[in-house]
Amino acid sequence: MKSSYVMDIVQEDCRNALKRPEVLGALKGETVLITGGTGFMGTWLAEMIATLNDHFGFGTKLFLLSGRANNLSARAPHIAVRPDVTLIERDIRGLMEIPQEVSWIIHAAGNPDNRVYASEPLRGIEVITRGTAAVLDCATRLPNLKKMLNVSSASIYGNQPDNLEKISEGFFGNLDCASVMSSYAEAKRFAETLCTVYRSQHRLPLVCARPFAFIGPYQMLDRPWAVNNFMRDALLGGAIRILGDGQTVRSYMYPSDMAFWLLRILTDGVPGQNYNVGSPEGVTLLALAEKIADLFPDKPRIASHLLPPGKAQRSRLVPDISLAQNSLGLEITVDLDTAIKRTILWNQAQQKLTKAGESKR
Amino acid sequence: MKKKILISDPTLRDGNHAVKHQLTAEQIARYAEAAEAAQIPIVEVGHGNGLGASSLQVGESAVGDMEMLKAARRKLVRSKLGVHVMPGFATIRKDIEKAVEVGVDVFRVGAHCTEADVTRRHIGYVRERGKEVYGVLMMSHMVSKETLAEESLKMESYGAEGIIIMDSAGAYLPSDVTERIAELVKALNIPVGFHGHNNLGMAVANSVAAAEAGATILDGTVRGFGAGAGNTQLEVLIAVLDKMGYSTGIDFYKLLDAAEIAEREIMKVIPAIQSISIVSGLAGVFSGFSKHVERASKEYGVDPRDLFFELGRRKVVAGQEDLIIEVAMDLAGKKVSR
Repeated sequence: MKSSYVMDIVQEDCRNALKRPEVLGALKGETVLITGGTGFMGTWLAEMIATLNDHFGFGTKLFLLSGRANNLSARAPHIAVRPDVTLIERDIRGLMEIPQEVSWIIHAAGNPDNRVYASEPLRGIEVITRGTAAVLDCATRLPNLKKMLNVSSASIYGNQPDNLEKISEGFFGNLDCASVMSSYAEAKRFAETLCTVYRSQHRLPLVCARPFAFIGPYQMLDRPWAVNNFMRDALLGGAIRILGDGQTVRSYMYPSDMAFWLLRILTDGVPGQNYNVGSPEGVTLLALAEKIADLFPDKPRIASHLLPPGKAQRSRLVPDISLAQNSLGLEITVDLDTAIKRTILWNQAQQKLTKAGESKR
Repeated sequence: MKKKILISDPTLRDGNHAVKHQLTAEQIARYAEAAEAAQIPIVEVGHGNGLGASSLQVGESAVGDMEMLKAARRKLVRSKLGVHVMPGFATIRKDIEKAVEVGVDVFRVGAHCTEADVTRRHIGYVRERGKEVYGVLMMSHMVSKETLAEESLKMESYGAEGIIIMDSAGAYLPSDVTERIAELVKALNIPVGFHGHNNLGMAVANSVAAAEAGATILDGTVRGFGAGAGNTQLEVLIAVLDKMGYSTGIDFYKLLDAAEIAEREIMKVIPAIQSISIVSGLAGVFSGFSKHVERASKEYGVDPRDLFFELGRRKVVAGQEDLIIEVAMDLAGKKVSR
């Protein structure tokens, strides 16, 4: 069983994010299915629903569908054993049926790890395209579906143009479909199109979220993203290694905000609408590395890699979230500094737990 | 401001090919000390084919991997200790984990230029351990610049912090290098590097072409000590780069001293462009095959030049040393049937 400290951090975050639990009242006594239910996003959504049940008497029943259900036993065993949670282990590409009692669906399956799309793009995009089609087909046969949320991705926007400070939902993107590196983003775009078609042809109540970047517990530090690498370098006690001049700009949302936002978009998002989910607070990777370094007693050095002149990677990816803010009253409740602190705390607790487990063996 | 180039020196790794992997711990320590004095940023050490490669098939090294690495580690303070890693030879638990423990700073995970997929776990593991890791694409002349870019993107996605393309056969002309490096610089968001061989006498010119096209990592060995006709000769490369306005942070006089020491204490023979090396460069076959080809051609009574060209035609790559005999036998058979 997880140490209580590791669990405490996440549960405290969930309670803090639920300042107005009543706005999610539509989920009371309902049954929710989450595909990709044992991933980073699925685990946080499950934590949030568990908090709604334990502290606010929601009585929501949860089905978590995953190709690797035992991931959850390793990641969050306390969720896996809850009586209000049912794990369904199934490859989403061959999904034929969803439990008939399901009235809300969050479709979050699909691995965003770009290593998968580099090595096995076919398998990666099949999970997204065939998986989404399978879930949508099953959804058309549900007697009491209230709404389905398709979790898309900010990657469908492609590169943020230099003259655009923030990306809003109306930006149509600039992907290169001829590049194999676009396969994840193109598959996600196609999944959105599928949703549009099912909404039109089958009148399915479908809403879509486009997540940006996150930093927080349950995120695996071996994922090939800058913030994960910085965090891991610092936790290992080495230098934080940064590419080029570190002037690339990203923004990071804490996952308790993410989970609350997704549930709110599910319950109150307007079908047919797409909502950006992320933090509007841009930060350069250099500033991010410094913020992380500052939180360690032996402040790690920040090392820069050589890039050819003029090749400094200076992309920018920051969402405009005014649609979610204005129409659904959503806000960022955990600022970046707090997000980094909590993530480090959680990872340090996790490290101790792993070491303790190893020494017992 | 001078443009910076990161130099990685595989004298004690590629050079091991030139002495059938017989470098001793004392020789390694001696050169590592000289390289440290010259402030060479990365000193690569090990069996010619990298960690875990010592075997009957590609040649057994005189001393074990860890003994070699420890000998160098004791002498390197500012210079980083690097290793070459080829999945298939090197395994994570048996080799990489131990190399991390003895203090290796830089891992260069290499694969044939179309096989980047096999490097994913190795690159991932090195990143997990917080060490520097680069992706290396070998025999890079065998594929188009577009394929090289796609394979490099895979390695970048696995976590490689730079990509080095190797001219393992010494087959490139400067224009080939310019074209490929420019493509990689355009496609990648990480530094790009070049590792040259001198079969056609082009190693320094090719390395300079790489730098001019945007490469920021260059490999070179003193006296060109390495497989076949040898590598890019480091002393010459540093001199030329300096003259062209690049900065490497290397102490030039101390580097010349290191080269003298290496020549005196490590090299039985200084690499030269032998006839057979010119042929292997033209045929586009791995330089490290020379000694195997010489042996097989004697044994089966075939012209080693024919053998090299036939190996090139069959696109044989490093690790397929056993095919050399098969090809030699085929050629011998053809001779008889004529």
